[in-house]
Amino acid sequence: MPGIDECLLEAMRLPGARGAALVDWTSGLALGTVGEAPGGDHETAAAEAAELARLAAEHGTFTAQGADRPPVEDVIVSNADSYHLLRFIDTSFDSSVFLHLWLGREEGNLALARIRLGEMAARLVLG
Amino acid sequence: MVRTPPPLPVRDKAAARALSPMLNRLAEERATGVLVREHGTLHLAQGRVVHAESPLAPGLDVLLTAHGTLATAAWQRAAAAAEGPLRAAELLLESGLLPAGALELCHLDALYDAGYFALAPSSTPGRFHYDGAPRTGTLPSVPVVALERETLRRRLQLHRLWPDPAADTAPLIRADPLLRDTGPAPAAPARPARRTPLAPRQRAVLDRVDGTRTAADIARELGRQAFHTLVDVRRLAAAGHLRPLAPVVPVPPAPPPTAPEQARNLPPPLPPVTDPDIALLKRLRDALEAL
Repeated sequence: MPGIDECLLEAMRLPGARGAALVDWTSGLALGTVGEAPGGDHETAAAEAAELARLAAEHGTFTAQGADRPPVEDVIVSNADSYHLLRFIDTSFDSSVFLHLWLGREEGNLALARIRLGEMAARLVLG
Repeated sequence: MVRTPPPLPVRDKAAARALSPMLNRLAEERATGVLVREHGTLHLAQGRVVHAESPLAPGLDVLLTAHGTLATAAWQRAAAAAEGPLRAAELLLESGLLPAGALELCHLDALYDAGYFALAPSSTPGRFHYDGAPRTGTLPSVPVVALERETLRRRLQLHRLWPDPAADTAPLIRADPLLRDTGPAPAAPARPARRTPLAPRQRAVLDRVDGTRTAADIARELGRQAFHTLVDVRRLAAAGHLRPLAPVVPVPPAPPPTAPEQARNLPPPLPPVTDPDIALLKRLRDALEAL
């Protein structure tokens, strides 16, 4: 059964992966990081990604109808040279965490990464 | 729409190492043992924080059992077989009863949460008990400097949400957002308050505000991290949905009994002077300025 570090290292094996982090979106704390940080600093990246995740999770516009948790599955941001994939983790205990994967646009495969990150998020907390 | 709180602060790297000089010294000497402070304890192994506990934060046991992640009986069995909650958590990890990721995540959540309160400004000095047997556990540990920086960042985050810390500790009572303005009666009809729907996690907190429960009580009932609860409490206070019931005024300790003749001849004793806590005074000043 993978721990946090194994999960992040597995995410880094995806094609084009530049960096990955496990972030709490209430506090903005990075509970684990590997690889490069977008913008150069993992702590800043975690706080900024947490803002985005919280907005998506709290605004009714983005949440599934009638679903209890997690309110949102993924948040995807693309820019000219990279993708950011935030995957909310559904824990059986109370938490507010997501996996943040940063992918280079040239080598990255967003569809594949989205599926794999979802599987990793589930394995992390379900074993 | 949901009210948008101010941006999350980013750690100020220059501001670190200001919380507990004793803790920094212990980290430098790679000490192993337990640091007991006024609002919580930090367990160190070779200078790293391996576990934290505070009466103000739900423990790992509460977080794991509140929503059925782990049966209460399973925790009790592990706790009975182990010395302390950290060792109990390690037993659970070794037994494979819980996925490693879930347990690590919950352990780190609880560590940073209780650590926040353990490092809160205190009026009494901390005490450290050395433990002879340094042991590297199987659960992740955190460098002292990382816990300190995160604690400072969390203080700033709460301050930005709502600068009055009274709601963190006092019993909470619901307030009508419409009646929040307490200035002179307006000539014009009161402007209708913006009705902002609450996020579900905030709603769960507000539903438990009853004039008796404190934020710590609500956190324990929800099986939720105390700091997460404080974030919601401060946001709800800022939006006028709740307020602290009454400021808690500490009762000054009774003066030591004096002999009758001394009492006649001596001037009244000076009030006991305690070392003023600069951080607390600053927060108080900020809160007053923000009123």
